[in-house]
Amino acid sequence: MFAMGELARQMVERAQSKGAQLSEAYGLDSKDLTIEVSKGVVETMKLAEDRGIGIRVFKAGKMGYAYTSDLSEAAVESTVDRALANAAFTGEDPFWRLPDKVNQYPQVDTYDPAIAQVSVERKIELAKEIEATARATDPRVKITERSSYQDAEYNVTVVNSQGIDATYRGAYCGAYAYLVAEEKGDNQTGFSLSYGLHFEDIDPKKIGREAAAKAVRMLGAKSVPSRRVPVVFDPYVTTQILGIVAPALTAEAVQKGKSLFAGKVGQSIASGKVSIIDDGLLPGRIQSAPFDGEGVPTSRTILIEEGQLKGFLYNTYTAAKDGAASTGNGSRGSFRGTPDVGTTNFYLEAGDVAPDDLIGQISSGLYVTEVMGMHTANPISGDFSVGAAGILIEKGRLTTPVRGVAIAGNLLEWLDRIDGIGNDLTFFIGKGAPTVRIKEMAISGN
Amino acid sequence: MLQAALQQGGDFADIFIEKKMMSGIGCEDNKIERLTTGIDIGAGIRVIAGEATAYAYTNDVSREGLMHAAEVASHAAKGGGAVQSIDLREVLSPVEINVELRPDQVSIEDKVEKVLAANKHARSLDERIKQVTVGYGDIVQEVQIANSDGDYVEDERIRSRFVVHAVAADGPVIQTGYEALGGVRGFEIFREKTPEELAQNAVDRALLMLTAKPAPLGRMAVVMSGEAGGTMVHEACGHGLEADLVQKGLSVYAGKLGEEVASPLVTVIDDGTISGKYGTIRFDDEGVPGQRNVLIDKGRLTSFMYDRFTARKEGRASTGNGRRESYQHKPVPRMTNTLIAAGDEDPEKIIKDTQQGLFVKKMGGGQVNTTNGDFVFDVAEGYIIENGEIKHAVRGATLTGNGPEVLQQIDRVGNDLGYAIGTCGKEGQGVPVSDAQPTLRIASLVVGGTAGGSGTDDAEATGQAGELRRISVRELLQSGEGRIRRL
Repeated sequence: MFAMGELARQMVERAQSKGAQLSEAYGLDSKDLTIEVSKGVVETMKLAEDRGIGIRVFKAGKMGYAYTSDLSEAAVESTVDRALANAAFTGEDPFWRLPDKVNQYPQVDTYDPAIAQVSVERKIELAKEIEATARATDPRVKITERSSYQDAEYNVTVVNSQGIDATYRGAYCGAYAYLVAEEKGDNQTGFSLSYGLHFEDIDPKKIGREAAAKAVRMLGAKSVPSRRVPVVFDPYVTTQILGIVAPALTAEAVQKGKSLFAGKVGQSIASGKVSIIDDGLLPGRIQSAPFDGEGVPTSRTILIEEGQLKGFLYNTYTAAKDGAASTGNGSRGSFRGTPDVGTTNFYLEAGDVAPDDLIGQISSGLYVTEVMGMHTANPISGDFSVGAAGILIEKGRLTTPVRGVAIAGNLLEWLDRIDGIGNDLTFFIGKGAPTVRIKEMAISGN
Repeated sequence: MLQAALQQGGDFADIFIEKKMMSGIGCEDNKIERLTTGIDIGAGIRVIAGEATAYAYTNDVSREGLMHAAEVASHAAKGGGAVQSIDLREVLSPVEINVELRPDQVSIEDKVEKVLAANKHARSLDERIKQVTVGYGDIVQEVQIANSDGDYVEDERIRSRFVVHAVAADGPVIQTGYEALGGVRGFEIFREKTPEELAQNAVDRALLMLTAKPAPLGRMAVVMSGEAGGTMVHEACGHGLEADLVQKGLSVYAGKLGEEVASPLVTVIDDGTISGKYGTIRFDDEGVPGQRNVLIDKGRLTSFMYDRFTARKEGRASTGNGRRESYQHKPVPRMTNTLIAAGDEDPEKIIKDTQQGLFVKKMGGGQVNTTNGDFVFDVAEGYIIENGEIKHAVRGATLTGNGPEVLQQIDRVGNDLGYAIGTCGKEGQGVPVSDAQPTLRIASLVVGGTAGGSGTDDAEATGQAGELRRISVRELLQSGEGRIRRL
């Protein structure tokens, strides 16, 4: 691949020689393949190469940033100069710093050369097999919105003026299906996905069967009258809710007064059954890496342990502000932005109850399999109200499909009222959760 | 290049070369926290052979880099016609876009000054304002588009955006308020509204929500203000009228062309030609001039929105809706400026004639499942209507409904029209859009309660379909998607 390390070193040197007190270059070089299949033929094949570099400079306590995907000498030099110029206008901040040189990074499995060695034909076959399995599962599966295989290979490079000069290579692959089942003019969607580090771990039959079953079971869904009942959330929906909890567990949100968990470390803020962990070293997961976007080693951080708030996620800046150590959560998805505080593999720890048993104990309730508008939740107050679909629970069994209802609540209340956690922890890319049961929630319907 | 792309056969090939310069400023905690400038260059080459599309992109826009991408794409889509020579001719657009103050000729100082002005004003208004976030962003995008039909287009797109987000706290109650300005314009956007006015609006909304009561639950009449923005039209029918979803049977509107799909009071238009709006285009990203398309005419479904690929399938012309976020994405049918046309009623009278219901003064973001038409969106500012009068403010309302059902239930349409801007997400790519509607009444809609605020960052594992996000400050600081780990 391209000599990103050399370019990064040159940029840092140029910045330092032009008066930066600290500087850091972050380069990313990636290759992606996407295959989309519908009706047994390849509908889209996309091959992408993306590379670029960004530079952060600090001068008189001020930070400036600039990036470029034009890697010509002139563009790269002007990028350094623009970063320095930008630093003149930002606010002074005593907590800006860059991490020191790291002698030894943790050993993390991030790259399986087998992914690149598998032929494109076999990858196409995999996407076709998902669709074929789904259609064979039930004749009512009529439309494939997308049956897709995807993989990517990338190199991350971080060089800073404190002596960090690190790089690692990563790869991942995955597949997913979005399907539509149709009966009597009623259309319902189902989906399933699986992403991991190894090609052999993708099970196309399982993805196809799961997506088909999810679409078919929603056929004939109707709204129901408003009620207050126990509610069970499947792992996917629980993961979406965790997606709203996650930002509130970053030191960035806390320090800016935007977290509903601010000032609550040591307090019980969730049901005793709840433990939430961020683990950048988790074997086999695609967000695992030896270091974060600033070159800080990643780590396992327990955020909530048996209901008690233990701490927050930090990058270098927020750690300096709190007199804490970075947890290796200085995340940047791209060379196009500065490091924020972000999650790695973020999950709600599994319990020991089979999901069926969580449902089995409910005489009347709702099993939620889809929510809409989760991104409209208020991350500060924790209030949310979402459109929901799922299946009614009657006498311990899943009975009729439901859609067109709204469920409302508050994230803190939701965490507190969890009275059962399944043993089925499932990851969806970088976040994961098991099935959870909430004692009681308001459902508004007809 | 195009001939290389078609060397293995194929029906159509195009190339999209882009150079984008962006600048973004973020202010929070009472200081300029971030100032970013970026250069993005790259090219995407597409080959269509029958139902198959191959797409390759690269940052390497040298002749060799492009030839390599063209070859990659040609191998992925084979079959069909033979290579013929291609003569390129420049296409012109009737849409005129005038930018008065080019952002690349405005100094960083001047941009920073606007941001600080909004921040200072917002913080001076009330001691309950605990946090203010202000974001400024501009983009100058130069594109060249050429295709195997011989069309050649050069275009420059300039966009500016400004957002203010205020957090107000009173004891344990925390609420937020938001206001945004943006358009296919330069620094002259501040003539429409000053930073201080935008700050005032955001602060007023946050303070109002502090004293608001929780929203009621259940079915009720909903009156949407002409100022509310068009989230509803975007979600309730916009996405479902995009031809790719229709052709795949993924839209509730599929097969309904010519049928009554809405109340006769409803006319829906997607118009990429309106001067200065955030979704306005001289050309779409396939080199087709922006157009005005009537989608629903007095309740009757008259047209879908097409890109070249979906239009080819039906042997018709593109409607100028083929859009992409950047060279990294293949174009798909997308909205531009989408609106419900104004009617002839006095908005005041619509409220007066409503006994009981919810008045929506400002909408937030939303999401739709186009397959069954179910949508949801949140209300950023809402009030209770009692006996034809607007009473107390409510917070945390979300509206849940079904597109076709709601369009049938629109029973009053006002003579006003108000716009809102947003970033519309579909297939993981965001494009700038605006949406508008007049004051209108929906006879009955499900209201869910106790949420509120305008969330911005979407969870990693969100579903398919389309969703509309209001612009966040973070977004202004990062151009393009560029995430290495995306679905």
